[in-house]
Amino acid sequence: MKGKRIKGFSLFMTIAVLCGLMLTVPAAAIGAGKPIVIGGSLPLTGEFAETAQWIEKGMRYWAEEINAKGGLLGRPVEFKIYDDQSNVGKAVTFAEKAITVDKVDLLFGGYPGTAARAVMPVAEKHKVVYVSMGGHMKSFQQGYTYSFGAPPLMGEWWYEGFFHWLATLPANQRPERAAVYTINNPVGLSLQDSIDRWTKELNIQVVINEKYNSPLADATSLIVKAKQMNCDILFSNGFFPDGVTTMKAAKALDYNPKAIVQGVGSVVPAWIKELGADGDYVFSGTVLHGKLNYPGNDKLNAYAKQKYNMDGYPLYFGFGYAWMQTLEQGVSGAKSLDQTKIRDWLKTNKINTIAGPLTFDKRGLPPEENFCTQIINGKVELIFPKNIRTKEPVYPKPAWKK
Amino acid sequence: MDAVLIIQSLISGIMMGMVYALLGVGFSLTWGVMHVIHISHAAFGLLGAYLAYSMLQYFGVDPVVSAAASAPLLFLVACGVYQLLIRPITRAKEVIVASMILTFGLAIILENVMVLIWNADPRVLTPTYASGALIVGPFYFQYPHLVGFGLSIVGITTIYLFLKKTYTGMAVRAAWQQPEAAQLYGVNLYRISMITFALAVSTAGAGGISLALLNSFEPHSHNLWLIYLFLVVIVGGVGNVIGTVLAGLIIGVITGLSMAFLPYQWVNLVTFGLLMIFLIFRPHGLFRQGV
Amino acid sequence: MQKYRLAAIAILIAMLAAFPCLEPEVYYLSFMFSVFMYVILASSWNFIGGYAGYLSFGHAAFFGIGAFATAKAASMFELTPLLTILASIPAGALAALVALFVGYPCLKIRGPYFSVVTICFAFVVELTVKNIEFLGGAEGIWLKFMDIPEKLSRSILYEVMLLLMVVTLAVAWRLGRSRLGAGLRAIRSDEEVAETMAIPTAKLKIQAFILSAFFPGIAGGLFAYYLTYIHADVVFNINISILIVLMAMFGGGGTWLGPIIGAVILTVVNEGLSIFAQAEIARIIYGALFIVVTIFMPNGIIDFFRKKGGG
Repeated sequence: MKGKRIKGFSLFMTIAVLCGLMLTVPAAAIGAGKPIVIGGSLPLTGEFAETAQWIEKGMRYWAEEINAKGGLLGRPVEFKIYDDQSNVGKAVTFAEKAITVDKVDLLFGGYPGTAARAVMPVAEKHKVVYVSMGGHMKSFQQGYTYSFGAPPLMGEWWYEGFFHWLATLPANQRPERAAVYTINNPVGLSLQDSIDRWTKELNIQVVINEKYNSPLADATSLIVKAKQMNCDILFSNGFFPDGVTTMKAAKALDYNPKAIVQGVGSVVPAWIKELGADGDYVFSGTVLHGKLNYPGNDKLNAYAKQKYNMDGYPLYFGFGYAWMQTLEQGVSGAKSLDQTKIRDWLKTNKINTIAGPLTFDKRGLPPEENFCTQIINGKVELIFPKNIRTKEPVYPKPAWKK
Repeated sequence: MDAVLIIQSLISGIMMGMVYALLGVGFSLTWGVMHVIHISHAAFGLLGAYLAYSMLQYFGVDPVVSAAASAPLLFLVACGVYQLLIRPITRAKEVIVASMILTFGLAIILENVMVLIWNADPRVLTPTYASGALIVGPFYFQYPHLVGFGLSIVGITTIYLFLKKTYTGMAVRAAWQQPEAAQLYGVNLYRISMITFALAVSTAGAGGISLALLNSFEPHSHNLWLIYLFLVVIVGGVGNVIGTVLAGLIIGVITGLSMAFLPYQWVNLVTFGLLMIFLIFRPHGLFRQGV
Repeated sequence: MQKYRLAAIAILIAMLAAFPCLEPEVYYLSFMFSVFMYVILASSWNFIGGYAGYLSFGHAAFFGIGAFATAKAASMFELTPLLTILASIPAGALAALVALFVGYPCLKIRGPYFSVVTICFAFVVELTVKNIEFLGGAEGIWLKFMDIPEKLSRSILYEVMLLLMVVTLAVAWRLGRSRLGAGLRAIRSDEEVAETMAIPTAKLKIQAFILSAFFPGIAGGLFAYYLTYIHADVVFNINISILIVLMAMFGGGGTWLGPIIGAVILTVVNEGLSIFAQAEIARIIYGALFIVVTIFMPNGIIDFFRKKGGG
């Protein structure tokens, strides 16, 4: 009996020692080389794999490009990307690993918003610049100084372009009754913020204002309600799965509001690819777009066409690239890898990204800007502001093609 | 609250519930007959959905045809899985626990193999009738829901008839109720188990395809499906085909009614809360005995 | 022999406690913190799941209750770091209280039906937190981080989690040798027989369930402070519930050492794979690990080695 226990115990000790060994190996392997190492974690598997894999591709394209140009500060760049398995706790641990063990020169931004919210304080504590989409406005109000949204995915700003455009319409053509369905999470709550402000200003009556918890198994009753209440604008503030469910129900039930506005579900390439014509005429926002007249976009478009056969690069591909552009200019501007110098340089200088020229305020945010987009004939078109318009908006939305 | 909304919600709730039942029925059988909790059941369902997606994309094959075609394919795959993985663990002291751990690993593998083959982008199964609806008076029956519903009826009826009418099916039932006696009468338990397992997995394919007709799917979607599957099977009573169907309907009705009467924010909470209360009062599900 | 073993344990604990003195990088402290956390979770789960055979698939609920209670208290009363850490104890008590109320009706349900009730329960708790703004809502809660050097603050959390792990394991040790533990084992092997032997099954189950909720609740509170931002999606995640069960069963349910070994192996392997292999391949290897271990050790690792050792 006792012998067995000892046996078990020695097993336990062996494992304890083994885990110690396992963790020390990578530490020794790094630090000798010349390249600038950029580290961090992305949810490459699990729930958020899709988005993360696009971000990774965007980052890697940037690295390819800069290494071809001779590198950053004359040194080649290299990534150390961990898979946090869509687990926020792991995102935090891996950020700490990148900073303290791998001693990476730069940290890259993670996904989703909840992970960014948890990693931002880590960056702050270690005084490391953290460029990401952030976790919406609340995360930039925590007093962090090393975090940058460059550009951010800011739910609070996401519909600004759309509402500005709506305001240009004659009052009698605007929708009057809104149905607002919002996913009950940080993105949804942030999106709702601008709807609250603007519907008051534009005199749109919010007839239905409901939240739902993911997963949304069925949207039939959402659409029936909106139809019965004669809502002529539908806000579907959600992600891809719930967005698709809602759109399918809207078509099946032949619900034809003047406009359908989609949160962040319609901005992934899958929307156009999977829904085809049924995904058309949906409004949304963006901060990045292949047709924006800023340097770099053409190159990215060409790359996306050649490599993935896509018209226009995917949004999160652009995000990955743009965050790296910000870091790059921070480093070359500060002429140093000193994090505080990079931070201070970024806060006092203007940078140029594929999202346009950006300057940052105390919170690490650029001035509020978001463009209005609409999907027309299977393409994401820019609608507003007028100077960037790629196509006339289709409004009111034509009836569903049967 | 008006009748149209309530009935419309009920219609889609019930159709959804039936689809869950189709996915659940095989899970229930493997659990009941073999004491194997097959965690990767939903992942096999998802595999069926991806196969149907590719068939539709590249060859224009309708998902219903794919559901029928994928069944024998999954059957064979499942026979292999049974021989290689499940059979060795039947000697475990607690087969339920061992099978859970093993098939959890299998589910992780399947999920990531699907990522490697189809990548992580979300998919939508869109046959030509994807967004149409049959209109009856003020009510809309969405075609994909109807097709999923139809597939479920056919799939579940097939399983039911197999168990009741065929020799092998009766042997399965015998093995489930009286394993020792069945063996005495010459029933080969391993063969029966393999057939049960393979049959269950092939219905999972059809179930996955039906569910894919209702919602979009990604390689990790099986985790979510698994939860619904557990609910349907437990409420219905493990190993009970009719119970699983009724449970699907009950869950559908609860969801449908709560979507009509409650703020959406509370729908999921009420569904889970009611199921919890249901189980407290009926701790063995709807029916105590299986098949 | 007994003395020998105790000394070994004492030395191991002392070594672990002295680890921060070596001034390791923060990551190692954080990683060990998460290892300790999963040992606590798996070992506590083992009280009800392993000993009594009531497989709870909703243990993330208790972890999450502890996390949110601590975070809420810390942000509402602007607690100091020390008080925030201490606040995790009443938060654990709250989790235990919830376990009492839920356990009373639910522990009458047996087998897989109990498992599903606990899944439903975990969802009910998660959705309640998400839907009620006061409890944290869909926005989540931010905590203030300690205004001291990062290494020190991580060392403090490391030591506290280590202490909690030692306490949990001591309780587990005691429980395995107590009348409670014997009663629970009797329940696992045959509850009806246990009842006829005048074992107060209902009472024992409740006691085990409360204990198994208390420690995860405290661990949740510490985890909230570790993360500084918590969200219901993070701490109530069903993957945590499933992982806890797998860890305990992987090592060997109903034994003292099983959950420890399961938690350590799975946490270390998972972390190691993420570091060394490509993402999807890492997951596939991780999945294969479950399969291989189950085929060769269908009754858990501990059982396998005991048989080998004892002949």
